[in-house]
Amino acid sequence: MNNTVLVLSAASAIVAGTPILLAAVGELVAERSGVMNLGVEGMMLVGGVIAFWAGVHTGSLALALVAGGLAGALLACVHAVLAVSLRVNQTVSGLSLVIVGSGLSAFLGSAGDKPLLETKNGVNIHAFFPKAVRDLPIVGPIVFGHDLVVYISWAIVASAAYVLYRTSAGLSLRAIGEDPAAADAAGLNVVRTRYLATAIGGFGAGMGGAYLTLAVLGTWQTGLTAGVGWIAVALVILAGWRPWLALIGAYAFGALRGLGFTLQIAQISIPADFLNMTPFIAAYVVVIVVSASPSRSRRVAAPAALAQPYSRESR
Amino acid sequence: VNGLPANPFVVTPRARPSAAVRLGVPFGALLVALGLGMVVLLAFGDDPLKAYRTMFESSLQGWRPFTRTLTYATPLILTGLAAAVAFRMKVYNIGAEGQLFVGAIAASGLALALPPDLPRVLMISVVILGGAVAGAIWAQLAAIPKALFGTDEIITTLMLNFVALGLMNYLIQGSRSFWRNPTHPVPQGKEIPKSAQLPILYERLHAGFLVAVAVAVALWLLVRLTTWGFRLKVIGDSRRAALYAGISVGAMTIGVMAVSGAIAGMAGAIEVSAVTKGLQPKALAIQLGYTGIIIAAVARLNALGVVPVAVLLAAITVSGSSLQSIGVASELVVLLQGLIFLSVTAGEFFVTNRVRLASSRQAVRSQRELGAPPHVDETPVATAVSAKPASGESLALRSPTMGSAR
Repeated sequence: MNNTVLVLSAASAIVAGTPILLAAVGELVAERSGVMNLGVEGMMLVGGVIAFWAGVHTGSLALALVAGGLAGALLACVHAVLAVSLRVNQTVSGLSLVIVGSGLSAFLGSAGDKPLLETKNGVNIHAFFPKAVRDLPIVGPIVFGHDLVVYISWAIVASAAYVLYRTSAGLSLRAIGEDPAAADAAGLNVVRTRYLATAIGGFGAGMGGAYLTLAVLGTWQTGLTAGVGWIAVALVILAGWRPWLALIGAYAFGALRGLGFTLQIAQISIPADFLNMTPFIAAYVVVIVVSASPSRSRRVAAPAALAQPYSRESR
Repeated sequence: VNGLPANPFVVTPRARPSAAVRLGVPFGALLVALGLGMVVLLAFGDDPLKAYRTMFESSLQGWRPFTRTLTYATPLILTGLAAAVAFRMKVYNIGAEGQLFVGAIAASGLALALPPDLPRVLMISVVILGGAVAGAIWAQLAAIPKALFGTDEIITTLMLNFVALGLMNYLIQGSRSFWRNPTHPVPQGKEIPKSAQLPILYERLHAGFLVAVAVAVALWLLVRLTTWGFRLKVIGDSRRAALYAGISVGAMTIGVMAVSGAIAGMAGAIEVSAVTKGLQPKALAIQLGYTGIIIAAVARLNALGVVPVAVLLAAITVSGSSLQSIGVASELVVLLQGLIFLSVTAGEFFVTNRVRLASSRQAVRSQRELGAPPHVDETPVATAVSAKPASGESLALRSPTMGSAR
């Protein structure tokens, strides 16, 4: 029963969706504070190469993930300096982060005497639960069959949802994303909160890149994200800036990325080039549908001050 | 005042940045980026001066390298223009990459389908125009949803890039299509007839370079002299003002995306006609579209500025292969491009604002310039004046309208 197409596809969708999920939840937190960071793709790449390097040198998955996350957060802080302090256009700043990230990761991956490009993965990733649990029908592979990072990502989603909606810190963060002037007048520190939220976003993207490199692909390749970061940016909009919806959406995109595998088992042949396109076509269509839908809830969901620089003197 | 932390700098907005500032700041940012690149090289134990000298010699010294650089700059001029014109209206078309691919598909298709004995001028004109039309149509896939529903064009244009790339790969690697060379064992595009190939001007330079420069001049005039260009700038500076003035923002969105997509499609057509001589996915998918965004930013969205900046970025890119001969990873050039983009973006703050170290007299004077009353004596001057944004609407690279678009 556990070897049926549906069960295997669902399990692989979760693995393929986890990098998207980690990056999207991070970006969601940043955007909730009003900072739009389009540099997810670049932060994922830098997170991925640093995590791979850390994995080769330490052999520890935890250290590699943290290293990847910190690298992403560091790059995000560059965006924060530009977007929050220098108040330059966040779209342009985010795009520049993508190029810096892809250049830096490509250089780090191929420089030196023993380039990471030709190095084997130093991290051993294994299932978290014992075999008896993993062999349970259906839920075994889908729910209990994964490595620790998948469960960490669930905890991150749960805590993001809790902090954003159930704590005063989350309320402050959302207030700053909706109306920074009012939040400032109420005594909240807009600049510090936005820096922090942007760094958290970068940490999520870096971890996502780390997981993609270490667990999903298992090797470092130049430009290995191939659009995953952009899917995460789109997912934040599609999920209406809500963490649990981002989880569902991430696994849907994960399923699309694994579509070739599913169809292969089901013996349906579609050219590989078209299969590779499907997540991007899906994101394209859904972004249009979401923006065309007349429902009020979508408009409410987008932080009102998203991508707008805040300066005390101009309020 | 306001309980702001002590700020050692006096920041005052520039109402109208002078030409020296508009040229000087990006140039300074360029030097900063090269400096950061030196730090990275030193960290990896490489000799930065030797690396930069090698890059210069391999791309700009002598006619052969220089004409090679100009040839490489040709599509970059066009993708830079494609980004610049759209960004000027704050329509963030980052789909030049995909529009270029679609232009290349259409151009190579036309070149292969038309009778090869057509007069060369006619053939080349049809091929380039065909590429432009295809790019313009492809751009509408993002423009129409944007005009109708306000759909975020950053996401849609980017997603369409991957679709266009997949399409191009499918035509050559994934199928035995009309575009593919049926005799060659390795998948590659069929060679287009001689009559569809742009002539060589000198050494490695082809006539497409002149086309690209002509497009730059035409676009500069279009934005500067026509009503269309005036509307474009009004929307870019203040969407609200444009709406009050009765400018149809939706129609302008469709129009600017058509122009932008056409220029990017033309880049693909010229690459096919003069360089790859067929639909060659590997030779076309070299980030020309994304590099165009950097070029537009460094040129501060000025169409004439795009030309020299594209040549500079082309010089950096073509010199990548020469770096390997001295043991430096060729990926350095991508890193340098990113650093240039980043420092120029940061530099935008210094174009729109004047930053000085606070000495008390200057601070008081700068306050007077702003029309604000000078400080009373008990206020420490350095804490009193802090960042005030420039008239944020004055520059397209500042103060986005993204919030309303999403």
